[in-house]
Amino acid sequence: MTIGVKKVSLTRTTRDQIFLPAILEGLLTTARHFFKNTLTPGMGDIDTIRYGEPEVDVKDYYPDRFRGVHRLMYREDGSVRCVACMCCSTVCPARCIYIHAEDRRDDQEKAPASFVIDELKCVVCGFCVEACPCDAIRMDTKEHMVPTETREEAVLGKIDLMKRGGPSVAVQGGAAPNYREVAPKRDPRFEHDPQ
Amino acid sequence: MFNALVSLPPRLAATLRRLPVAWVWLAVVSLMLPATACDGEDPPSSVDAGAQMHLEPARLVFHPDTAPIAVDIVNDGKDPLFINNARLEGPDWSSFQITDARTSGIIAPGERATVHIEVDAASLKGPGDARPIVAAGAEPPEPIGPDEYRVGEASLRFSANGAEVSAPIVFEDPPWFGQYFLPALLKILALVMGFIMPLASLLTWLERKQSAMMQDRLGPNMAALGFGKVKLRLWGIPHFIADGVKMLFKEDFIPKYAHRALYSLAPLFAFAPALVVFAIMPFGDAVCYDHLGDVLSQADVDQCADGRGGTALQIAHIDVGLLYYFAIASLATYGTALAGWSSYNKWAILGSLRASAQMISYEVAIGLTIVGALLVYGTLEPHALVRAQMDSYWGIVLQPVGLILFMTAGIAETKRAPFDLPEGESEIIGYFIEYSGMRFGLFFLAEFIEVIFMSAMVATLFLGGWSVPFMGAHGFETAWAAQLFLTMLGLGLTVIGVGAWRASKHGETFGVLLVTVGSLHLFGAAYSLFTGWGTALPHILVIAIGLLTWGAKVFILCWVQLLIRWTLRPADEPGLEGPASAVDRQHRPDGGDRVPHAARGAASHLARFMELRR
Ligand code: SF4
Ligand code: SF4
Repeated sequence: MTIGVKKVSLTRTTRDQIFLPAILEGLLTTARHFFKNTLTPGMGDIDTIRYGEPEVDVKDYYPDRFRGVHRLMYREDGSVRCVACMCCSTVCPARCIYIHAEDRRDDQEKAPASFVIDELKCVVCGFCVEACPCDAIRMDTKEHMVPTETREEAVLGKIDLMKRGGPSVAVQGGAAPNYREVAPKRDPRFEHDPQ
Repeated sequence: MFNALVSLPPRLAATLRRLPVAWVWLAVVSLMLPATACDGEDPPSSVDAGAQMHLEPARLVFHPDTAPIAVDIVNDGKDPLFINNARLEGPDWSSFQITDARTSGIIAPGERATVHIEVDAASLKGPGDARPIVAAGAEPPEPIGPDEYRVGEASLRFSANGAEVSAPIVFEDPPWFGQYFLPALLKILALVMGFIMPLASLLTWLERKQSAMMQDRLGPNMAALGFGKVKLRLWGIPHFIADGVKMLFKEDFIPKYAHRALYSLAPLFAFAPALVVFAIMPFGDAVCYDHLGDVLSQADVDQCADGRGGTALQIAHIDVGLLYYFAIASLATYGTALAGWSSYNKWAILGSLRASAQMISYEVAIGLTIVGALLVYGTLEPHALVRAQMDSYWGIVLQPVGLILFMTAGIAETKRAPFDLPEGESEIIGYFIEYSGMRFGLFFLAEFIEVIFMSAMVATLFLGGWSVPFMGAHGFETAWAAQLFLTMLGLGLTVIGVGAWRASKHGETFGVLLVTVGSLHLFGAAYSLFTGWGTALPHILVIAIGLLTWGAKVFILCWVQLLIRWTLRPADEPGLEGPASAVDRQHRPDGGDRVPHAARGAASHLARFMELRR
């Protein structure tokens, strides 16, 4: 295909030259916005999030996948779900998760003796949540890490993390629906066998 | 459409939930109204049969140098009037004189006849206390000095068709203090402190808030007046107080090589003329001190406007009024020029040169547009201009093009976008680049006061000043004019009130207030419909309507100027591209919901054109 040349006329009409109709059009547009924003219920066309104002709950505005401060979930008996598999501390790019494992003494699993996240080092990437095989660590609190006066306060231990936590009913061991059944329909362009 | 229907019930429900507040108001109002309306008098009908005539003015006030006063005898009845006697009576009748030879004749129904009354001031001058005729039993008059005048009293009497009308005549020589100084002082204080400064401060907030509303932003909304725990945010209006405090406490910086004296004086040179030009601006007709509750005719009010028995609502009555404006407005150029020069800054002096050039050149355009009004109405005096517009047509009807040109030149005169080359935000900051704190604040306020003045000028020259259509000094000309006025105003206020009421939680009280006032007007219209009320209003009510009308016109014009300023962007602001052409309009990507390119292009072309011309 060759490059085409599109000819456009650049002549100015009388309407353009006397300016006034265009100015009037502009004035009407801005006036319409003015009245819409002042006289309609709510905020009109204004999209601004009034962050930090007393009557505004900012959590309403955060997207569902917003990553807040970490938390650790419970089992039904109230003990921590974490099995100290070290997946999260391994995947963590900031190396800010420190776990010491101990025996749970139920002949099945381990448990963390201590579980520490240094929130000052954390880059809030969410990889730890992705890596966790048993829904033990989550970042769905929609809370920012609050500023602290000392560095020590920003290092959260197991107790701090579990204070924010809640019971999780996920089946231990990571059972999930068969991904082949829930997979989206395949793109027909890739249906053919590449072999 | 469907969406609107679906979303209606919740909105309706929300509105209904808030309704009780309004119900209380409306109930109070509707309970009060019949109470006040019922014991009102009957509408003023014509006077007794046989005496269906009146005099305009109804009372005559003479000062030593008063020119002969024209008195109209108006026939209000259906039969012709046969005037058979016109005479002067009272203790000092011999000091006054009817100058017209013809003091008898026939006046057809609806017609009027004019006689002129003259005073012989010399006969009322001291020394001595000689009154030609002293009424029987009167006290002996006080002696008066050789250069003083004594008070003279008489009355003018006409008899026609067996009935009589009379008008009291008073001669006095008022003291300078009470006649000139005190009213002028009060008017200056009322106008400056009661209108200009509050409105100018409000405009500093409105400029930001209105532009925000036009551009889908929030604008200033955080400053609040705190009363203990209650915080009144009031849509951010307290921001102007916060700004004032900020300006006052900022460092008052003077550059090292600046000319200190001129640098300090320049803001005053810019600020003072902006206020002083308001001296010629009429903001109402006239107040008659002693007759606030009476129904007055235009002739009575004109007499008060001349300073006899009242005062004009205008600070200085100067015959060359508009020329005075030009004289003072060109002084404002000194403020900008000196500010730029004394700052010892290249950009400042560039800005001041641009400002001087622009202000002087646009004065020519303003002058030429005013010539139109001058030719039509035959006067340069703003008060007389408004009176002339009341008698014929408003300037906007006779000279719509003049209005547009005047507005354009006026915006250029205030140095605001799209004519803000002197400031030139993105290249030179303008003549006030070195100023900080309240000195900068003065330049800023002066700019807003100029905006108010331009609005007042447009209102005075083209929109009939304080006047309301179909309304004179005595009230509305016909009852239906009163009904129309009240209905329109009531509907407007109610609609805006309902809008504000529904718009936000903060707007509720304001909205309910507006709805209440609006419905009061509607009740008034209904009252007028049944009783014909409105053709004879007390003087003080007419004054109040005039003042409010003037204020409303000025405020709306200020709003329009802000709308223009934030719609037409200047040429040197980034984001302007492409000429104004049909192509631009066709290829606008956003479907036309933005300010059209053509409008922005128009502004840039206008500015570029001006630059070429320079
Ligand atoms: S969010 Fe990322 S950086 Fe933070 S702890 Fe988890 S993996 Fe580490
Ligand atoms: S990945 Fe989950 S289970 Fe494994 S150590 Fe981390 S939090 Fe515990």
